[in-house]
Amino acid sequence: MRHEKIIVEGRAQRGLPAKVADAMSILEVRNLKVSYSTGGPQILKGIDFEVGGDDFCAVIGPSGAGKSTLIRCINRLVEPTEGDIILFGQSVCPLNSGDLRRLRRRIGMIFQEFNLVNRMSVMDNVLSGRLGYTGAFRSFFKAFPKEDIDRALNLLERVGLQDHVDKRADALSGGQRQRVGIARALMQRPEILLLDEPTSALDPKISRDVMGLIRELAAEFKIPVLCNIHDVQLALETCNRIIGMQDGYKKFDGPAKGMRKQDLDEIYAMEVL
Amino acid sequence: MSITAAPVSAHGFDAYLAHKRRRRINNWLLVACSVALLAWCFWDTIMFDTDWQRMGGALGIGGTLERFLLIDWSLLPKLLVPALETLMMATLGTILGCVFSLPVAWFGAANVTPSKYFFYPLGRFLMVLSRSIHEIIWALLFVGAVGLGALPGILAVAMRSVGFISKITAEAIENIDPKPVEAIRAVGGNQFQVMYYGIVPQILPVIIGTIIFEWDINIRRSAIMGLVGAGGLGLVFFRQMAMFNYGGVTLVVLAVLVLIAIGEVISHYARKAVI
Amino acid sequence: MMPVTTTATHSMPAANRKWSRYRHPESTIRFAVILAILAFLGYSITYLNIDLSRILGAFPRLVEILATRYFPPDMNYVSDADFLRSVLRTLEMSLLGGFFGVVCSIPLAWLAARNITVSKRIAYPFGRFAIMSSRSIHETIWTILFVTVLGFGMLAGTLALTVFCVGFAGKLFSDELEAIDMGPVEALRSVGANPLQVFQYAVLPQVRVAFTGIAIYTWDVAFRAATVVGFFGGGGMGWYLKRTTQQMESTRVAAILLVIIGLVLLAEIGSGWLRKRIGKMR
Ligand SMILES: Nc1ncnc2c1ncn2[C@@H]1O[C@H](COP(=O)(O)OP(=O)(O)OP(=O)(O)O)[C@@H](O)[C@H]1O
Ligand SMILES: [Mg+2]
Repeated sequence: MRHEKIIVEGRAQRGLPAKVADAMSILEVRNLKVSYSTGGPQILKGIDFEVGGDDFCAVIGPSGAGKSTLIRCINRLVEPTEGDIILFGQSVCPLNSGDLRRLRRRIGMIFQEFNLVNRMSVMDNVLSGRLGYTGAFRSFFKAFPKEDIDRALNLLERVGLQDHVDKRADALSGGQRQRVGIARALMQRPEILLLDEPTSALDPKISRDVMGLIRELAAEFKIPVLCNIHDVQLALETCNRIIGMQDGYKKFDGPAKGMRKQDLDEIYAMEVL
Repeated sequence: MSITAAPVSAHGFDAYLAHKRRRRINNWLLVACSVALLAWCFWDTIMFDTDWQRMGGALGIGGTLERFLLIDWSLLPKLLVPALETLMMATLGTILGCVFSLPVAWFGAANVTPSKYFFYPLGRFLMVLSRSIHEIIWALLFVGAVGLGALPGILAVAMRSVGFISKITAEAIENIDPKPVEAIRAVGGNQFQVMYYGIVPQILPVIIGTIIFEWDINIRRSAIMGLVGAGGLGLVFFRQMAMFNYGGVTLVVLAVLVLIAIGEVISHYARKAVI
Repeated sequence: MMPVTTTATHSMPAANRKWSRYRHPESTIRFAVILAILAFLGYSITYLNIDLSRILGAFPRLVEILATRYFPPDMNYVSDADFLRSVLRTLEMSLLGGFFGVVCSIPLAWLAARNITVSKRIAYPFGRFAIMSSRSIHETIWTILFVTVLGFGMLAGTLALTVFCVGFAGKLFSDELEAIDMGPVEALRSVGANPLQVFQYAVLPQVRVAFTGIAIYTWDVAFRAATVVGFFGGGGMGWYLKRTTQQMESTRVAAILLVIIGLVLLAEIGSGWLRKRIGKMR
């Protein structure tokens, strides 16, 4: 609660609106608490925020703050312990496994280490983004519908991999693999994108290219983005909103432009005794 | 290095020498015991148990060997079909072994097992059981269950393969990279799709390599299943043996060798094709 | 709560490229190979006259037979002094066979390792052939051959196990040798050491621990094989198995099988433990 207060006060001092998200919020996180084992340490200690239709929202914070945990809670790769997550107007937590799968189809996720199936071709990796919509028979024979294949080709062209369609995923460079990851996520026709440090396995130049590509595509398809990122500079360049986390609490929430050095220092606990 | 370190290291050196001496004595003791044990085994099994008189001395042995070396080539054309039968049994046995291995590997892989306290130990136990019973014994058991013929031979070969295939498969499953699996879950894939797209591609090369390896071994195993009336080269072998046609026996053995060599060539190319 | 409709739009221009999973020669060849294998399997099933429904029926039948005919195991039979002596002899045979097999297979493996063999033209094929032929022929056939030449008894069994171990250990040894670091070998060769010296000073130190592990594993496998060589006159407990099977004394067979499984498990646990300890010494 103390932290809540700091944030609200901080925002009031700077003359920011109390709520950043606009009228229609696609994702609402309410008082989210997570611990990996019952009775174990609490990793998230009560997080609240909302993400709206045109947010490109970066989550920053020191290592171990719980950023990945937060992102992974939203599609329930990690089970929330307490609190509520409301996505597209429905609560995520009580869903049974079938409904959860139907919800996950609408969430695109891009991973730090790309999480491609190395021994499959680029095309198959991209097509696997459609699995949620593909029946057992078709998925057994890898016989995806023509419109999926067309879309995959289109997306691969958009991410600049049109010449690598039939290569195996492990024959690509890191930046290329992440582009495959982006194409796979967009294959889902997602309504929100979750990015867990999409660039921290890449070099600075490629990181900027990849983030630029994601921003461009997200703007084109009008997809809101929630993105974990370590590189603060890159976050400020790319994103229009920043959520700062520390030790399981939200410490900052505001537009990227309004971010000041002392906010950063606070998030990264430079001055905390 | 400081000067005061010298006596300490001298002491350490003494200890080192003593340690070394102790180790040398231990090693000598180990060697002496092993030699004594082997010598006793040698005396008990070979000198004591062998009926040197009946063997007929060097001449008798030479005579038998000569009969083996006079290869009976007239049998050659009659070996083609049995060789093919042996190959068929080996292949069917391997495939059947793979089918049986599926649940065993699933049970015995710690990260996917349906129950850690019941199915996991069961899977592990089945793996050990399959390997610890010799194929001859499996064959005898299955003759009791299904009667003489090719089926008990195939079942025996299959059962003997289960242990190795499922053990390697379970290890491969335990060592998969969980990240792609998570990605498939995140796009909304169901249980089957997660396995088929996330796990199978990762373990496929290992499994196929193992199956090819096991198929190679199973050719040799099927070549003795003639014992349970399973036909193939084994049956010809036992018949020639019963007729005391040792030249024919040698030819059958050579045929097995050729068959295995062919199998090795096939598996070489098959391995290249999948990896 | 009303489901929120999102603003995402996913329209894209139509693709101007074509893609198909079908690749001209490769897909056809793969398809043909798979079809050929399936055809071979189908033909085998009909040719060998196999009733598929009996395959699954075999297991309930097996359990039923074990429960009715083989139960209860005649434990008196296996606590008999003669039988216990045969168990001891089985162990002796496996030790001797394993020992001789390992001793013979080390030089053969040396010849059959491509990177350090004495001569690629003569020694390499010879070593490979010796190991491959010992491996290719089943230990049962070796036993029968040796029994025919040398008469019944443990000599034949021991020799059969020796050949079996040559094949088994020789392959593992030569694989291990082919994976060594060639640096020390080249260093010794360049100072003019002869092949034997190279083997002793550059190769053996690298593989000593691995070889010890393989030797123990070989014994383990040899023991498994030793339990049945007696079935064909090679001596040891296999002979009892044969006699009781032929006379249909099922409860005795069951007892012998139990003993075999127990001993093999013990051997496996023991060899596993030893190998783990030796692995730690590395
Ligand atoms: N699967 C897990 N089981 C138990 N504890 C976990 C698990 N995953 C993460 N944790 C713990 O949760 C805490 C937060 O981890 P998290 O990965 O969310 O941090 P992060 O902010 O993403 O850090 P980084 O920037 O290094 O990725 C850490 O203390 C970590 O030890
Ligand atoms: Mg993280």
